[in-house]
Amino acid sequence: MAGKTIPIESDPNTEVACRDVGGEERSLLRRVVDQFADHCRARSLFVLHYCTGCGAIELPPSITARFDLERMGIQPMATPRQADILLITGYLAVKTLKRVILTYEQMPGPKYVVGFGSCTINGGMYWHSYATIKQLGNYIPVELYIAGCMPRPEAIQQMFLELMARIDRGEARAWEDYYRRYDAYLAQQQSLFGTRWEGPTDVVAEARRYGLLEHQTLGPHTAHLERYAPYHRELGVPLADKRGSGSLV
Amino acid sequence: MMTVAVQMLLMPLVAFLVGLVLVLFMRRLRARIERRVGPPLLQPVYDIVKLYGKRSQISHGPMHEISIMMVVGGVIAVVLFLPVPGMQGLAAHGDLITLVYLLMVPSLGLALGVGQCANPNGSIGISRALTAMVGYDIPLMLVVAGVAIAYGTTSLPQILAMQGGTWGVFQMPLLALAMLIATYGMLAKEPFEIYTAPAEIATGPMVEMGGKFMGALFVMQCFQIYTAGALFTVLFLGGGASWPGFLLKVFAVAAIPLTLTNLFPRYRAERVLHWMWKWPTGIALLGLALIMLR
Repeated sequence: MAGKTIPIESDPNTEVACRDVGGEERSLLRRVVDQFADHCRARSLFVLHYCTGCGAIELPPSITARFDLERMGIQPMATPRQADILLITGYLAVKTLKRVILTYEQMPGPKYVVGFGSCTINGGMYWHSYATIKQLGNYIPVELYIAGCMPRPEAIQQMFLELMARIDRGEARAWEDYYRRYDAYLAQQQSLFGTRWEGPTDVVAEARRYGLLEHQTLGPHTAHLERYAPYHRELGVPLADKRGSGSLV
Repeated sequence: MMTVAVQMLLMPLVAFLVGLVLVLFMRRLRARIERRVGPPLLQPVYDIVKLYGKRSQISHGPMHEISIMMVVGGVIAVVLFLPVPGMQGLAAHGDLITLVYLLMVPSLGLALGVGQCANPNGSIGISRALTAMVGYDIPLMLVVAGVAIAYGTTSLPQILAMQGGTWGVFQMPLLALAMLIATYGMLAKEPFEIYTAPAEIATGPMVEMGGKFMGALFVMQCFQIYTAGALFTVLFLGGGASWPGFLLKVFAVAAIPLTLTNLFPRYRAERVLHWMWKWPTGIALLGLALIMLR
């Protein structure tokens, strides 16, 4: 992961050189370890295919003998817990979007969502449908989109190469946005599903665990989740009253 | 002569490194049979480092976390009892029975942990894993009994020494065949892949395993394939005087199930039990009878 480094060439009397060393500026050893981890991450990608759209038909040629994605260390996986990439192949109805969000929240970070085909970008040929969503990126953070209706296996390969290059450079960090701005994403989700919407994963507690709990994580929309707090407490899930910020009272 | 303590550190390390190559071998073999190129050389390392680098977000409870140590600990313990060229480890202190007992520890550990995830796919998977174990353990125990009766000992170094002239596979070919099939079942490859079954029960026991848990299971897989090859090599192929010869035998033995697996779809759970209790058990019983009549 690329962190900021202290600019050595700067004048020692400037504010920049005299400031405290932040958490992002790590030791050389730590940076080498992180770079090695990113190198490995980029070369071992486990994909969870969410194949309710028609784009799924382009995946068998990509992973079998003709194009063989295993050359790049890409393997299909069966469950969200094991996966790194959530590949959304095509349109999402409001009903299936719920399942996608539940699936996405179960994946351990770092995780990457790829929107496949024009349906995930702007609704595509389902633009006039009352039942499908238009932009996937409103509901969960999308790392990359593949344009086309539908994209060919070559485009899928190109996407994977681009994703690998980004992960290698430590730039594929869209997933952190979900935790940093959870309230905004939840607002979009609640606009579709109503304010009683909640998933089994406690995203706010996770944001704290990942160290990504920021002032935009909580807000008026996460406040609606408070009604489930007694339920969470019965299960022994650490939640609500430790949330720190006073905005939830 | 190295002390036992040094050997106890070296043996799992060597087994792990050989296991990594075996996993690569397995994936490349499968790729070549499917006319693909297959993963790059360091793929098993990339996978394991990546999985250990993931930030697991939830806990399924203390038992789930202890059990994964039981799984990895179990496979490492097995390796300590398997004599390899130049190192005997604990083989002189334990015997074949200890080793067969330890072979069951990973499955039992997995069962304890998976029970706590409350995932129905996991529960189905682990009950199938234990069913499969009942299936292949009976021929395995018959083979162990046959080998012990034939050589009059259960000590692995002594069994190795007695195979100096003729390999066990020529002395008791039926038992060797039964052992090979039991090993195949132990590796849980198609058609015996009832408990992983990704298309049916979403990888069964592994269904809730992400990040470090999955990484530990990848490590376990390395040890598992190595153990399967090495155990057969020690019992029936006379072990090895040197590492190249020993590794050649281990890879040759591992290649048999890993190649055949591409030919088959998956059996239903109860068919595995029927098949295991019919064919390898029958062959092992026949082999045992031949040895006792000799």
